Amino acid sequence: MNERQGFLDRHHFLLRRLHSLTGILPIGVFLIAHLTTNSSLAWGKYGLRAEGHGVPLVDGGVMYFNKEVAWINTQVPHLLLIEITLWASILFHSVLGVYYATTGRSNTARYPFQDNWRYTLQRISGYIGVAFIFYHVATLRWGWTFLVPGGTQWSHEFSASTLIAALQGSTGGWTPVGLAVSIAYFLGVSLLVFHFANGLWTAAITWGLTISQQAQRRWGVVCSAVGVGLMLAAWSALGAVFVGDYEAARAVEVRMLKDKYGEDHLNEVLEKQVPPHAAESQASVLSTD
Amino acid sequence: MSGAYAHEYNAETRRANRQRAKPGRSIILKIKRCDGPGKPSRWESFKVPVEPGSNVISCLKYIASHPVTTDGKRTTPVVWDSGCLEEVCGACTMVINGRVRQSCSCLIDEYAPDEGDTLTLEPMSKFPVIRDLWVDRERMFHALRRVKAWVPIDGTYNLGPGPKESPEHQQMRYALSECMTCGCCLEACPQYLQESDPEKWDTSFIGAAAINQVRLFNEHKTGKRLKADRLEALMGPGGITDCGNAQNCVKVCPKGIPLTESIAAVGRSTTVHAFTRFFKGR
Amino acid sequence: MAEQRVIVVGGGLAGLAASVRIAEAGLPVDLFSMVPVKRSHSVCAQGGINACNEVARQQGYSEYEHFDETIYGGDFLADQHPVLEMANWAPNIIDLLDRMGVPFNRTAEGYRDLRLFGGSLFKRTHFAGATTGQQLLYALDEQTRRYESEGKVKKYEFWEFLWPVTQGEGDEKRCVGIVAQDMRTMQIRAFRAAAVVMATGGNGLIFGKSTNSVICTGGAASRCYQEGAWYGNPEMIQVHPTAIPGADKLRLMSESARGEGGRVWVPRKKGDTRRPTDIPEAERYYFLEERYPAYGNIVPRDIATREIFDICVNEGMGVDGQNQVYLDLTHRDPEYLTRKLGGILDIYEKFVGVDPRFTPMKIFPAVHYSMGGLWTDYTPGDYMPDVPKPAHKSGAPVPVDNKMGHGLTIGAPNNMMSNIKGLYAFGEVNFAYHGANRLGANALLSCIFDGLCNGVSVVNFVRDSGTPGVDGLDQSIYDRVVRQEQEKHDRLVNSARSATGDEAYNPYRIAKELGDEMTAASTVVKTGERLERALAKVAELRDRYAKVELCDAASWTNQSLSFARATGDMLILAEAMLKAGLLRKESRGAHYRKDFPERDDENFFKTSIARFNPQTQQSDIEFVPVRAPLVLPRARTYGKADTKAGKPQPAAAHA
Repeated sequence: MNERQGFLDRHHFLLRRLHSLTGILPIGVFLIAHLTTNSSLAWGKYGLRAEGHGVPLVDGGVMYFNKEVAWINTQVPHLLLIEITLWASILFHSVLGVYYATTGRSNTARYPFQDNWRYTLQRISGYIGVAFIFYHVATLRWGWTFLVPGGTQWSHEFSASTLIAALQGSTGGWTPVGLAVSIAYFLGVSLLVFHFANGLWTAAITWGLTISQQAQRRWGVVCSAVGVGLMLAAWSALGAVFVGDYEAARAVEVRMLKDKYGEDHLNEVLEKQVPPHAAESQASVLSTD
Repeated sequence: MSGAYAHEYNAETRRANRQRAKPGRSIILKIKRCDGPGKPSRWESFKVPVEPGSNVISCLKYIASHPVTTDGKRTTPVVWDSGCLEEVCGACTMVINGRVRQSCSCLIDEYAPDEGDTLTLEPMSKFPVIRDLWVDRERMFHALRRVKAWVPIDGTYNLGPGPKESPEHQQMRYALSECMTCGCCLEACPQYLQESDPEKWDTSFIGAAAINQVRLFNEHKTGKRLKADRLEALMGPGGITDCGNAQNCVKVCPKGIPLTESIAAVGRSTTVHAFTRFFKGR
Repeated sequence: MAEQRVIVVGGGLAGLAASVRIAEAGLPVDLFSMVPVKRSHSVCAQGGINACNEVARQQGYSEYEHFDETIYGGDFLADQHPVLEMANWAPNIIDLLDRMGVPFNRTAEGYRDLRLFGGSLFKRTHFAGATTGQQLLYALDEQTRRYESEGKVKKYEFWEFLWPVTQGEGDEKRCVGIVAQDMRTMQIRAFRAAAVVMATGGNGLIFGKSTNSVICTGGAASRCYQEGAWYGNPEMIQVHPTAIPGADKLRLMSESARGEGGRVWVPRKKGDTRRPTDIPEAERYYFLEERYPAYGNIVPRDIATREIFDICVNEGMGVDGQNQVYLDLTHRDPEYLTRKLGGILDIYEKFVGVDPRFTPMKIFPAVHYSMGGLWTDYTPGDYMPDVPKPAHKSGAPVPVDNKMGHGLTIGAPNNMMSNIKGLYAFGEVNFAYHGANRLGANALLSCIFDGLCNGVSVVNFVRDSGTPGVDGLDQSIYDRVVRQEQEKHDRLVNSARSATGDEAYNPYRIAKELGDEMTAASTVVKTGERLERALAKVAELRDRYAKVELCDAASWTNQSLSFARATGDMLILAEAMLKAGLLRKESRGAHYRKDFPERDDENFFKTSIARFNPQTQQSDIEFVPVRAPLVLPRARTYGKADTKAGKPQPAAAHA
């Protein structure tokens, strides 16, 4: 090999290993935290402990989720730095991953072995995952509302209700586009969970942690368990969003805000935070209270 | 067309087929042919009488002396590579019914038990075709040079015995050492692609066979001396990191070599080597 | 003067060992092989490689006894000095292979393990599973690759040796290069070399189906023979007792199966249809053990072969009434078998579909090895007893120690050189070591020994013997041979264009008829009458071959051309085998004449030498005394029990 070879070639090993590493740290770790938080939409009532007594299951989920999200957005230090690190890692992992994926040719038709299917699925889930993450972050984090059906602006004060609106397609319940977005979420999240669990399994081989077939099989069981756990978390979060009701969730959130800021400051907060399209329903929320 | 072959020929199916197969029947051999590099390929079918014990080789031999297609057209004998005919030389590897394997150990009774059954033969797709079923696997031998797959002995003079070795360690090395460079692992590997330009061989994915050889020689007391060279050769583009863990290699290896274990073991060595190199310097 | 190069033809154990040794000495090597050298026929060798070792030595074994066994096993037809040198080198060769990384099986303490093999009562066979040949070949292939990457060896793989280029006549004839053809592009060209080493192996294909690889036509040896190289003991063909019958070839079932305890038997009752595992011990006829109580199942190959043949063909006791007997390992622990014999048991299972760990194998003899080959010369070493010694008794003081140079004068330029100067023959194509029968696990040894020991002779011939270089030679010497081969090539290609389509001229048909005839007439049991008929048949085949027709006129990768060309050369070698067999009116080793069942030392303690007569295009056979000053011939009985004494010997060969 000559010395004129490019940067990528010279650092081939490092880049490959960093690609593997970033998939686990920080991306994988974040995925676990993120899905755990989101799944609280389903089980939050039990997380509230004494506070949750007598609260309906759905409301409990909204309360807990909202609290967690608010905490993350207001209490976690260096949030922007963390986010930038995360986004950079995802970008790095995605760009290299897509490039690496193009160096192979799937052959499951001739060699329909389970491992080979996972190889192929790992690449498909990577491609779809990249698109999904971009959509997900752009719409719900960066506020590119023109990509959101119904134009819902997600906000952490109204984390559950705006999420429900964004996925169902409107603040008034399901729309056809909302259904499409929800299906995309279901697929995207499921594929990413697979991608992570399977990646965890292959990483152990890549780094040389699992050598014998027995070790690989054992680690496979662990990774499957991680995958199943995360899948349940993801699906339960989505399930809660799919069965959730915008108005009901919003009512809970407003009540929480009221408790937090008191009646007097509530309007200030609302004006600042409420998405434009939700403005007309604002009055009704306040009046029902 | 490959989907048609998706079923597995497991040991049970093969045994059942062998018991069902009637002697004196004829089968159809459908062969993908090509007159030479850059020439178009075509399919030709041949009707071949078979007996118990017939294998793909005996069928091809029959065609060599009776080169007439099922349409009654006279054609040229099919060209194919073969050697030992007992699955130790690796020469006669080809794609049979969509799956790579040695043709000598492919018994007709097991794969085409009924009158008129079709068996499809294609050349390996990951190597340039020389003619018909014969491909050029020089790149595999080049890979062995790339990773210095040898023990650097001082010379052939009498210098006493080699290192002592436990039976367990010998068994482990023996298993790795059975690789006959047939290329099954590469044909089935989704990361290993055909590369007819030798200039690019050193930067294209090297595949399981050579990685396994790296492990074999790094496990030998004297062979270890070149360990760093071998690992470095595998850490660049086309090295071990390009493995996608599809693990087809280990499933199609006719010698049952634990290729995926070798990949993992060498993966570990490269990890350790990278850290040592970083902190210790070269 | 430009650098002198050496050509090695053949990339099996002998060719690779020679390449490594010659390259190591500093001479550049051009290595020619019809296949990538790693796929050479040596991979098929299974059982092991013999050498005296410390354990055997302390039990009374010695290099000398290894030598004595080899001479005795070869029925005193081998030239004795080279065999002594080989036996003395054997332990060092094992050490070297060990250093190269061959995964020899190990004892619990980590020493090299040993197994029992035919023709010896001592464990003296080193092995790597049941694919020893493969493992040894790989080790030498790796070392060759090392020199290749240093530019000291240049490989010409998929190149076929077509003809030696010679200069001069009679005793002064010298080989100065070769003409070879690229099997892909079909390009024919000459290569100059100061010496040429033929390491082209055996000729099993002459017998149609054998245990040999498809490349073992003997074509290369035949071409040297036709160019004037003498051929020694052509009639000596080893038929291995245990092979798996098959449609395309007869796959070897290694002698190690018997060495590891395998027992050969047939049901005592003719036509017994019970499954072998259902037949009780008392109703099994372990005929080798009963007939040879001392050696039992590990009698030498020619004896085992004839006994199995006798049981099936004469006694009609073959399993299921067919030509097959049981080789039984089922009494051994399956795990032990897998560790020691896994490779060959897998072959049986793959090709027959039955697991030999639990069901006895069905086997029958098959053509396996050619003891005969190109005749070679040598300079004896310093051991020369006043009178030849009688049989050596284990543990007795040895007449000569194990130092190098007792058998051969190491490095003498004529060691293993044919009668054509500068043309060497190493390995199976060399007739020197195995006499009338080769002992199991001596083949690998003789191949590597030739390469290592006599590679030095090649170097000395090129460097120090005052032989002039070849770069000054007139190009016309080479062009003439290229033209000869190009014409042969063109004639064959054109035959496809003007084909009549008559089956009689199909090369595959001719080769098949040759194989059938040779197997019937010239393998386990021969008679004068049958050999004469076979000679007539070969003459007829040669007439038909003169009008041979190809089915492929391609000028790119024409495989049938290569085969058709070799068929002509096989016919010529076959004729030499038959003729020498006809003239050797005795029985010795693998050569069993029903009409002359005894060994006749008075008339035939002689090497047969075949010379090709360019005028008549026939073989002339001459018998010359065996170079045997070290050991006195003695009866070769292997302690046969008297039960069969006086019994008629096996009858005519099967039709």
